[in-house]
Amino acid sequence: MEELGLKDALSTITSGAIIEAIAVVVMASLLIMAIQKLVPMLAQKLSGKPRLYLLASVPLFRLVIIVLTVVMVVPILVEPSFENMLAIFGALGLALGFAFKDYANSLIAGIVTLYEMPYRPGDWIEINGQYGEVRAIGTRAAEIVTLDDTVIVIPHGLLWNNLLANSNDGTDNLMCVAELYLEPNHDVARMRELFRDVIYTCPLTKIYQPVVVAVTGTDIGMKYRLKAYPLTPGDQTRFIADLTARAGEVCAAEDVKMISRPLLLQ
Amino acid sequence: MATETDSEHACLPGGLIPLDQWSTPDISVHKSLRAGFKDILEQLRSGLTPESEAFESLDDLPSLPANKLKRYAPEPDASVLASAILKELGALSQQGLHNRQVSFIVAPPFSGVSEALLTLPARVIEAPDNLLMSEQEADHWWDEQLGEDDWVLPELASFWLRHRSGLQLLKSFFARIAQDSAGRGIVACSSWCWQFWIRYWPEIHVGPLTLAPLDSERLTGWLDFLARGGNGRSMTARMTNDGYYVLPPKTDESKEKYSCFAQDLANAARGNRGVAHAIWQRALRAKPEEDAEQDDDGTSKTAECWVVPFDQLSLPGVPQGSGQQAGIVLHAIMLHSSLTLDSLERVTGIAPVELKLLLSRFLRAELVVQDENTRAYRPTPLGYPAVRKYLQARGFSVDGF
Repeated sequence: MEELGLKDALSTITSGAIIEAIAVVVMASLLIMAIQKLVPMLAQKLSGKPRLYLLASVPLFRLVIIVLTVVMVVPILVEPSFENMLAIFGALGLALGFAFKDYANSLIAGIVTLYEMPYRPGDWIEINGQYGEVRAIGTRAAEIVTLDDTVIVIPHGLLWNNLLANSNDGTDNLMCVAELYLEPNHDVARMRELFRDVIYTCPLTKIYQPVVVAVTGTDIGMKYRLKAYPLTPGDQTRFIADLTARAGEVCAAEDVKMISRPLLLQ
Repeated sequence: MATETDSEHACLPGGLIPLDQWSTPDISVHKSLRAGFKDILEQLRSGLTPESEAFESLDDLPSLPANKLKRYAPEPDASVLASAILKELGALSQQGLHNRQVSFIVAPPFSGVSEALLTLPARVIEAPDNLLMSEQEADHWWDEQLGEDDWVLPELASFWLRHRSGLQLLKSFFARIAQDSAGRGIVACSSWCWQFWIRYWPEIHVGPLTLAPLDSERLTGWLDFLARGGNGRSMTARMTNDGYYVLPPKTDESKEKYSCFAQDLANAARGNRGVAHAIWQRALRAKPEEDAEQDDDGTSKTAECWVVPFDQLSLPGVPQGSGQQAGIVLHAIMLHSSLTLDSLERVTGIAPVELKLLLSRFLRAELVVQDENTRAYRPTPLGYPAVRKYLQARGFSVDGF
C-alpha cells in the first residue's frame, strides 16, 4: 500500500473533511433511497410504456448519484492530484480484487447491466430456473418477484456465465402459451379453428399481436399450444388459466377428451 | 380521393373516402407532448385528489338555454346525411372507385351513419335476439335476410358477441359480402367492431369506406352548416377570454382574429364529428352582459353566443383505480357499440354484481348511458375520448380513428 503512495494521499485527511464527506454520502444515500421508494410508487400509478420507462430510470438515477457522490467526496478527502488518484484507486482495486472479488464482480456486472440492459425493472426474466418480474435493480443484485410472490435476489455476477431469458425485453408484450393434450383421432383443423376463436374471444388477449395455435402429434396424444399475448405481462397467470378453461369448454362441447395427468405419467 | 364538393355536401365535409386514407387531423408536436404530459400527470394525480370524473365546466358563465342550444348547435339531420351518403356512393360508383353491390361504411362511434341509414327507403336488417348460433344456423338466418330487394344494416356491431359461439353470424356475413353475393345493401360498421374483425380475419376484403375526418376547417364549416339550419343565417361565436372568432368560418376576406379553438376541438375529437359536436354544445355560453359594440361601419359586433376556452372544459375521465375489470367492461361496450347486462356478463365473464358496481361508476362519470328501452349500456360522446385513451394505455385494441 505504501508503494502506491496511499499513506501520503491519506495523510492530509482532516476530521472536518471526514465529517463533510460522510454528510455528502448520507445525503446521497437518502436521495437514492427516496428515489428507489418514490419512483416505483409513481410507476405503479401509470400504465403501458410510461410505467416501464419510469421503472427503468431508477438504476440510472442511482448510478448518476453514485458517480456524482464519488466525484464530490474524493476531492473533499484528498487533493485530487494524479498521484493521489492513482494511489486511491489502485488501493481500492487491490482491496476489491482480493477481499471482495465476488462483490466487485457483481458491482461491475451491475454497471454492465445498466449499459447493456439485459433486464430492466418490469421485465419478466428466467435465470437459473427462477422466473419472475424484475422489481428492483440494486448495485450488486437484482430482485425478482416470482408468480408465487416470492422475492429472489439475483447477483448481477450471474450474468457472466448463465443464460438469461427475458420474456418481454423492455416492452409490455409477453407471449404466453397454454398447453393442452388431447386424445388423437379428432378433427384437428376444426379444433385449431375453435381454439383460435377461444384466444380471440378471451377479453385478456392483445388481439393486435400474433395469435398462433400450434399442434404436434406426440406419443401420448395431440399437443396443442395456444400462443398469444395478454394485455399486460402481469396478466400471464390469469390469461393462461382463462385460455385453458375456455379451451376445456370447447373440448367438452366437441366431445374431444383431454388427456389427464395420470395417463400422461403412464 | 374525396370529391371536394364541401359546399354541396356541407353535412358530409370531405365526403366518403377509402378507409386506408383516413388520418387524424394534424396536431403540433408541442400539443402532442403537452397532451401526453397532461395525461401522465392525471394518472399520477389520481388517488391524491378527490375524483372529479364527470363533465365539469371550470368557468362561471351561464350555459346556453335549451332553445338557443337547439338553434345554434342542433343535432344533425339524419336524413340529410343519408342523402349525402347516397350521393357520395353514386359519385364514387360513377368514377369507378366503388363497384360493389354492398357498400361497407366503417365509421367511428357517434358519426351518425347508423341513424342516417335508418332513414333510407330500404329494408332494415335488425340483429336477431339470439346471437349465439352455429354455422348452419347463421347461414340459414342470412339466407332469409338477404333478399333481392335493397337493404340497410345500420350497425354491424350489434350482430355479434365476443364469445366463441357469437362469431358465426358475422363470419357468414363477411364471407357473403366478400363474394358479392349478399344482394344490394349498405352496411354501417363501428370502427371498433371493424378493428376486431380485421385482426381476427385479415383476409376480409369488403372495400370499406369511411367519412373523411373533420379537420378544423371542415369542422367549422360543418358547425356553421348546422347552425344555419333551415333559415340559412350564419352564426357568430367568439371566445369568452379574448373575443377571437370561432364562427363564422374564416374566409380569405376575413379581417377578424380567429381563435385556435376549432383546431383544439378537432384534435380533441380526433376528427370525430359526434364527439366534436358534443363538446361544442358544452362549450357554448350565453354572456350576461350583452353590451353591443359598434363597428366602424355601425354593425353590431356582439356575438350571438360565446365559447369558453378549451382549457376551461373538463371532459369526463375514467375513474382511476378501477382495476382491470373496468377496462374489460369498457372495451366490450366499445366493441359492440352497446350491450345489456346479460350480454356483458357473457362477453366479459364478470359476475353481474361486479358489473353493476362498475357500470354505476361509469354512469356517474358520464362515460356510459343506459338506453331506456333496450336497457343496454352505450358510451357517451363526451366520455369517448377518455375511454379510448384509457383503453389504449392499458393494451386494449382500439380503433384506428
